[in-house]
Amino acid sequence: MKNKSTQYKAFRQVFFRECIRLVSKPIYMFGIIVAPLFCYVFFTTLMSAGMPSNFPVGFVDMDHSKAARTLARNLDSFQETKIIAHYPTAADATQAMQSGRIYGFYYIPHNTSVNVYGQRQPRLSFYTNNSILVAGSLLFKDFKLMSELASAYATREVLYGHGITEKQSLPLLQPITVDPHPIGNPWINYSIYLNNTMVPGILMILIFMMTVYVIGVEIKDRTARDWLHLGNNSIWISLYAKLLPQTILFTIMGILYNVYLYGYLHFPCNSSIMSMLFATFCFVLACQSMGVVMIGTLPTLRFGLSFATLWGVVSFSISGFTYPVMAMHPSLQALSNLFPLRHYFLIYVDQALNGYPMLYSWRSYLALLLFMMLPFFIAHRLKSALIFYKYIP
Amino acid sequence: MEDSQKFGKRVFGGFRDVFYIWKREMKKSFYDQGVFIFFILVPLGYPLLYSFIYTNEVVREVPVVALDESHTLLSREFLRKVDATPDVKIIAYSNDMADARQSMREHKSYGIIRIPSDFSDNINNINAFQQAHVSIYCDMESMFYYKCMYSSCTDVSLEMNKAIKIQRAGNTTTNREEEISTYPIEYTNVALFNPTSGFASFLIPAVLMLILQQTLVLGIGLSAGTAVETNRFRDLVPINRHYHGTLRIVFGKTLAYFMIYLVASMWVLLAVPRIFNLNHLAQAPTLILFIIPYLLACIFFAMAVSVLVRSRENCMILFAFFSIPMLFMSGISWPGSGIPTFWRIISYIFPSTFGINGFVRINNLSANLFEIQWEYHALWLQTGIYFFITCVVYRWQILTSRKHVIEHYKEMKSQHQTQQAIESTQI
Repeated sequence: MKNKSTQYKAFRQVFFRECIRLVSKPIYMFGIIVAPLFCYVFFTTLMSAGMPSNFPVGFVDMDHSKAARTLARNLDSFQETKIIAHYPTAADATQAMQSGRIYGFYYIPHNTSVNVYGQRQPRLSFYTNNSILVAGSLLFKDFKLMSELASAYATREVLYGHGITEKQSLPLLQPITVDPHPIGNPWINYSIYLNNTMVPGILMILIFMMTVYVIGVEIKDRTARDWLHLGNNSIWISLYAKLLPQTILFTIMGILYNVYLYGYLHFPCNSSIMSMLFATFCFVLACQSMGVVMIGTLPTLRFGLSFATLWGVVSFSISGFTYPVMAMHPSLQALSNLFPLRHYFLIYVDQALNGYPMLYSWRSYLALLLFMMLPFFIAHRLKSALIFYKYIP
Repeated sequence: MEDSQKFGKRVFGGFRDVFYIWKREMKKSFYDQGVFIFFILVPLGYPLLYSFIYTNEVVREVPVVALDESHTLLSREFLRKVDATPDVKIIAYSNDMADARQSMREHKSYGIIRIPSDFSDNINNINAFQQAHVSIYCDMESMFYYKCMYSSCTDVSLEMNKAIKIQRAGNTTTNREEEISTYPIEYTNVALFNPTSGFASFLIPAVLMLILQQTLVLGIGLSAGTAVETNRFRDLVPINRHYHGTLRIVFGKTLAYFMIYLVASMWVLLAVPRIFNLNHLAQAPTLILFIIPYLLACIFFAMAVSVLVRSRENCMILFAFFSIPMLFMSGISWPGSGIPTFWRIISYIFPSTFGINGFVRINNLSANLFEIQWEYHALWLQTGIYFFITCVVYRWQILTSRKHVIEHYKEMKSQHQTQQAIESTQI
């Protein structure tokens, strides 16, 4: 009984010691509150348009006909396209692309309209700068549609001449059409697509670093023994009591982004918000455990932090929310499981985006749980590092 | 005569100090493990890892479920053709929607292609004037799945439309005429500078440039943090007779970083794109002329912000997470024309914004200096501004360091005097 109360006391002492430490230096508040808040605001305002529109494009008209001008006007009226300049030759347009003024251009060769009437099948062409992939592929879509329409426009004139009505002409021009149904994100909103993972990702990288920092700085300042001593010489009491204040703060930051994304910005959340909050909580714990593993394996502050930085930044690429994991090399597909963000991403897709029951994401929850258990394997090593390790600058 | 001799001596002394500081900084870069990681290991290894992640460039064979409610020749032809496209793979033919959705829930497939029961009727019965609709349902986990499915199905539908239209024309004319009547105007599309629309060709050049800047900021920050920590008065500038001129310190350090990074950037910007067969259309003189202001701007930027670092490791917490926003601000992953004005102005603070834009165009689009003059001028301007700020910062640091020394001296002296006074009274 007495043993239990001393343990409780030790826990409380370490907890309050840590709380005081957290407010003693500005770096803590920067890493826990300021940096995540900045990124929440940054990413959501950067992509507030949802989908970039009005990409500047060029138009090269060698035909100088009414039909060409109509085509230019129609192209300009598309949401993604904005014709900012007419160039005399394709070479000029290419140079404008190289200078970054335009993302693509549409080319109408000499005598196009004459050739249409003469049934000599002229050829239009369009060029997109796919080095800027998003702009390139969105423009490609518009340009292609415009070219199809140009062809249909010519055919339609013939059909009208045969006495076919406008409504009747559509099935004749386009017997089969494809109706896309993007599930969960029908607006194809890039902000929803990216920020649902980007924002937790930023939180993750900061959790990694702050967890490593609070433990590593004790080793560096040679206060680790005091800390352990206060924690009744138990690594578990010391560790949990030390990390609890951060768990609370980071969970609050996690709740905050959930409220911000799903409540304020109205991103689709087809599951209950509670399941996303639960996932966020698991994610915070998994990241903290990962942080403990990082400092446990490399008990020097700078190596631990380098580990956290590099692992954290790679998470964004390997978690597969931009470039899918299934298209990566098999070894990387296996490696991606070692990143908590990957599992959080899969849970988000199942829960908030698609609204599946939680059962279908059991693998990802299990993975997060396994992350939480990792400190058990490293605690012994960490304890000896805390006692014996000497910081070498 | 004496004056000119003095001046010559001062200049000589200045150069000696510059090289002394250069030597010390070079040594530090290789012996300090923290700095070594960021100056050497990360630029060496990180580009390889990143390129390896994206090396497949495109997504192929996205697994989808086909839901054929029409069960006709035409519907089977449509599905067969979709299956034959490189981007989509039909893994199962399902009988109802619930079944197909279940396979999506179990992560076996990423989409459903549904052909309604009136598909063939609408095509065959020309007098009904009805379009046949094919619906695709797509998991929006990745934009790539959507793009693959939509473009494959659209391409197949266009191809089949052409055949259907020719058939409807009724074989009354020659093949060529039929082709012309269905497609009076042909078109060609050219995806310039990234013909496969590959992800690596698009993202990696930007990441490479960012790695150079971020490792410089982290490495210089780390080294500044060490200087502060090992200093007796927690100042950035050490108490050393070689460290008493602003320009000597700035030039000496810059020379060391510049030499290391000239080599590093050759590896990162020339070798890596060739190893992974990414675009490498850069003209050598253009690239070299462009790299010089970029590296200088990054070095001075890093030295100017390194004054914020009060302890060795803080710089990582301060700057590392910022890499991702910087990448997005640069206008590559999120197109520049879509960036709000406020963030665009903020992005002008960082050398990476201009560096990435310039390098992507030099490397991917084979642009010359004339075509990237805005970025080129901006980098030189940044070099000037950050050089000035760095000098001011170091000047201020030298003065505080001196002040601390003098204060300390005075303190010691007064202590000494009081002690003497005590001793004299005792006597």
